Amino acid sequence: MPTITFSFKDFQQLLGKKLTVPEFEDLLVLYAKAEVEKYDKASDEVTLKLDDTNLPYLWCPEGLARFFRGMLGISKGMQKFKAKSSGYKVTVEDSVKAVRPFITAFVAKGRKIDDYLLKQLIQIQEKFCESYGRRRQKTSIGLYAYGKISFPVHYRAVEPSSAKFVPLGFDHPMDLNQVLKMHPKGQQYAWILKGASKYPLLQDNKGEILSFPPIINSSTTGRLKTGDSELLFEATGTDEESVSLAASIFAHNLAERGFEIFSATISYKAKSETTPSGKTLKISITPEFIEKVTGLKLSAAEARQLLAKAGYECAGNQAIVPDYRADIMHSVDVAEDVAIAFGYDNIKDEPLKSYTIGMPLAAVQKVNNLRKAVVAMGFQEIFSHILTDKSSLIGSAEIIELENYMSETYSAVRNSLLPQLLDVLSRNKHTDYPQKVFEEGTVSARNGSKIMEWHSLALVSAHSKADFTEQKQHLSAILGSLGAQFAIKPTEHAAFIKGRAGSIIVDNETIGVIGEISPAVLSKFGIEMPATALELNLNLLFQQ
Amino acid sequence: MTTEKTAEIAASLHRLERAVLPHISKLSSVEDVVVAARMQEVEVLRALQWLQNKGLAKLTEKIEEIIRLGENGKNYAKSLLPEARFLNSIANKPQALAEIKKAANLSDEEMGASIGALMRIKAIEPVAAAAEKTFKITESGRQIAKSGLRAQRFLSGQNFPVGINNLSGEEKNIVTELKKRKDVIKEDVVKKRTAFLTELGKEVLKKAASAAETVDRLTPEMLITGRWKEAAFRSYDLTAPVPRVFFGKLQPYREFLEEVREKFVSMGFEEMTGPIVESEFWNMDALFMPQFHSARDIHDVYYVKEPKYATDLPRQLVKKVKAAHENGFGTGSKGWRYEFSEEKTARLIMRSQTTACSSRKLASTDLKIPGKYFAIGRCFRYDVIDTKHLADFNQVEGIVVEENLSLRHLIGLLKLFAKEFCNTDKVKVVPSYFPFTEPSASLYAKHPELGWMELGGAGIFRPEMVKPLVGSHMQIGRSPIQHRQQPMRIDPRSIAHSASSGIVPVIAWGIGIDRVAMFKLGLNDIRELFSHDLNFLRNAKVV
Repeated sequence: MPTITFSFKDFQQLLGKKLTVPEFEDLLVLYAKAEVEKYDKASDEVTLKLDDTNLPYLWCPEGLARFFRGMLGISKGMQKFKAKSSGYKVTVEDSVKAVRPFITAFVAKGRKIDDYLLKQLIQIQEKFCESYGRRRQKTSIGLYAYGKISFPVHYRAVEPSSAKFVPLGFDHPMDLNQVLKMHPKGQQYAWILKGASKYPLLQDNKGEILSFPPIINSSTTGRLKTGDSELLFEATGTDEESVSLAASIFAHNLAERGFEIFSATISYKAKSETTPSGKTLKISITPEFIEKVTGLKLSAAEARQLLAKAGYECAGNQAIVPDYRADIMHSVDVAEDVAIAFGYDNIKDEPLKSYTIGMPLAAVQKVNNLRKAVVAMGFQEIFSHILTDKSSLIGSAEIIELENYMSETYSAVRNSLLPQLLDVLSRNKHTDYPQKVFEEGTVSARNGSKIMEWHSLALVSAHSKADFTEQKQHLSAILGSLGAQFAIKPTEHAAFIKGRAGSIIVDNETIGVIGEISPAVLSKFGIEMPATALELNLNLLFQQ
Repeated sequence: MTTEKTAEIAASLHRLERAVLPHISKLSSVEDVVVAARMQEVEVLRALQWLQNKGLAKLTEKIEEIIRLGENGKNYAKSLLPEARFLNSIANKPQALAEIKKAANLSDEEMGASIGALMRIKAIEPVAAAAEKTFKITESGRQIAKSGLRAQRFLSGQNFPVGINNLSGEEKNIVTELKKRKDVIKEDVVKKRTAFLTELGKEVLKKAASAAETVDRLTPEMLITGRWKEAAFRSYDLTAPVPRVFFGKLQPYREFLEEVREKFVSMGFEEMTGPIVESEFWNMDALFMPQFHSARDIHDVYYVKEPKYATDLPRQLVKKVKAAHENGFGTGSKGWRYEFSEEKTARLIMRSQTTACSSRKLASTDLKIPGKYFAIGRCFRYDVIDTKHLADFNQVEGIVVEENLSLRHLIGLLKLFAKEFCNTDKVKVVPSYFPFTEPSASLYAKHPELGWMELGGAGIFRPEMVKPLVGSHMQIGRSPIQHRQQPMRIDPRSIAHSASSGIVPVIAWGIGIDRVAMFKLGLNDIRELFSHDLNFLRNAKVV
């Protein structure tokens, strides 16, 4: 979920309409899956949070304005720019195939870049690369001062030690290995190149190094500054569609800011293409399909009108998707855009008509009867987390631990409810006794590669006269209410006093344990009151 | 006070009160009464409390500081203070330091302290002419030696422990001095309770002595023998406080979830479930969330350490889901166009969304069409715990599977939820984004007390998600749905929608139930939903 900041005045200029901030907020919620996080009146800066993760063209004021120009009817249909063809050329050597095969580029000229615009360019560059470009792996973007570059530009992969340049932020030359080791950006993004024997490099025709994609630009040619009015854009990556999308979005933005766009010819060994390509996706859409998805009955003309609002162009039963969007995978995506353009709040709701029989899970009734029976014996119900501290659990081999836990407190899946009930006692030492607590809930454990999950019911009773007899009374009452005959077989259990721990047997199957909590366990929890407990596997019990 | 009244009071005396009463007329200290009445202290105190409530006795409590001797203090009381021993050793003639040390049996430290103390009161003075450092006793020293040092007199003469209030001003000064020394004086704070009878108490005592014996408890034996007919039952003090009793209670948040369950059942929804340790397949891949999706990051989901991989994934279904991700599986979709990893799909994680239950249900052979399903399930997220986030929490969500469902039904369903859970008709349904639904919507409802709140999200499952799952179900011939196989796309830049026309629509929704729960339970901190605070739970209102 990207967050972006821009000048509200700038946005209104791009939009071509005056708005108040509350009006803008309403529009965002109604159409754009976004909300204003804050607006600073003094600096006129608005900060937005966007829900979408697949619409990077909206992560900048230019794209948002373009979107709303359509939705508000300020401009109609697909918004285009004209890229001039030029002699700019990028040659792509086969050596990049193995590491970072795709590149797009263009040149933009004609407007002085001020502080604000530079900040905006960097913002969309970062958001695009980090989020949509998957931390630069899928796509990374470079911007350069055009004047210092002699075309054609060459994109190749080289031996890491064979190329040396001064990276941004440093004042001495390094080879590519050194950049990965020593430069902060190198350290941050080295993982992308892991395993590659040659690293990507952009050089101009004089051999001057422009950048080491996707890591860092050169400090001599690779820095765009305030006051520059001509720039070179390039995007490299592992995903063809994504680098192409980056070029489209930047070209649209710069064209709308008053730049002239000059396309570049990308010359691969086997093919040659022009970027930004201006290529668009065609997708079939009919009023019938729109009705099926959205329930809206539209004429073909109405559908076309709504599609135009959403920035599409129509050709028969096909919608043409603007080149700055790559999120459209299926006709349902277009149908949703039609519904948004129509306005969700204008869509009349309809009730479900089918008749279905509601029912809870089979065990719910039984579990709830048991819970109520235990409450009737004076127990307070507890509802705990399923994740717990692994050191509080018994039986290391069967515990399901988390690989990437954030804190020890939630580092494993509970395999018993007892530790958490003991935690209740330990946190309430100064609360009135007797303390009788119970919990019913999911526990899970593993047996080799097999994972088991079951409902467990546990009772703990703590007071100065708590003893086995009392707990066995509870057990008889619970099992008696289910008509189950049980036996208790002496057992050894780390939680209980030796000689005062028993397995609970129903129909020759062990379904639980009962006993007096051992003083060692009590003192581990800091409990200063005798306590007894029982725990039942309800899945086994209900099977009986 | 009338005689009848005192007689009535006398008749209502409890066994314990009756036992204590005569003793207070003679003794005032509670300790003494305990001894004399041969009762436990708590019993005496309880009786005195009751007597006081009735105006028969007056119980006072004084906090007193008590002085007793520490280990060194006891030694000094018996075998004299170091300076006293010092003084005694030179009582007859001046002595060199080494001699004094030996005779008085003093450590170096005690020597130094003794010299300082004795010089201060001018009891000794050095002998100037001596070769070795030598001290002699002065005239006033002789006086002191005769009568004993003040501190020594105090230590040896007092009967410890002693209340500090019983000491004279001078003795108190000595105590202050001695406290500076290590382990000589110990102080304790004790409660001193005394009781005495009021005038009424004295009268009642007279009556009580002469009253006939009353009966405390009715016994089975009295009923059997009929002896109850002669018995006079003691009257109780019905206003006396009693110990609190805590009745068992269901946990309020869990009860709230039970209500939610009942609500869905009553709306015709059938409950579904799934495991908490789940594979990425059911949790994400089956939902058409691409394997590179940001919500699948190590910083969003908990990974299970061992075992790492599920071994029970349905192979055929995995193949179909893989195809959906890679090329759209003939739904008319482009798909996500990347290489789907069958290893990653088997990776075990902690379920991060109850939607995993929905994907399992859609693929199950007992799926009913039309069908409405819901799940209340625990989910796990890699989040920093604070007032708004938990490591595990409950989600409520579900699906509606039915022919000819559209966005209009989805909006209708959301409005129904707003009515059920927020009791309001004031709703806003706005566009939203979820990776597995298209179209998607969010529901804002105006809660009568909370104001506008985001109550839930919903959408229609993408065809790329539904086709592989429900398709597997249809092959077994249980579905009334016509399923038309479409040719794979030919032009990668042109998408045909007709392929999806045979896919049954599935509305999916989720409700942010925690906020409603917190409001209902009066909580501001989400962590309190799983509170281990017994006072809080025992006193929670029963909602």
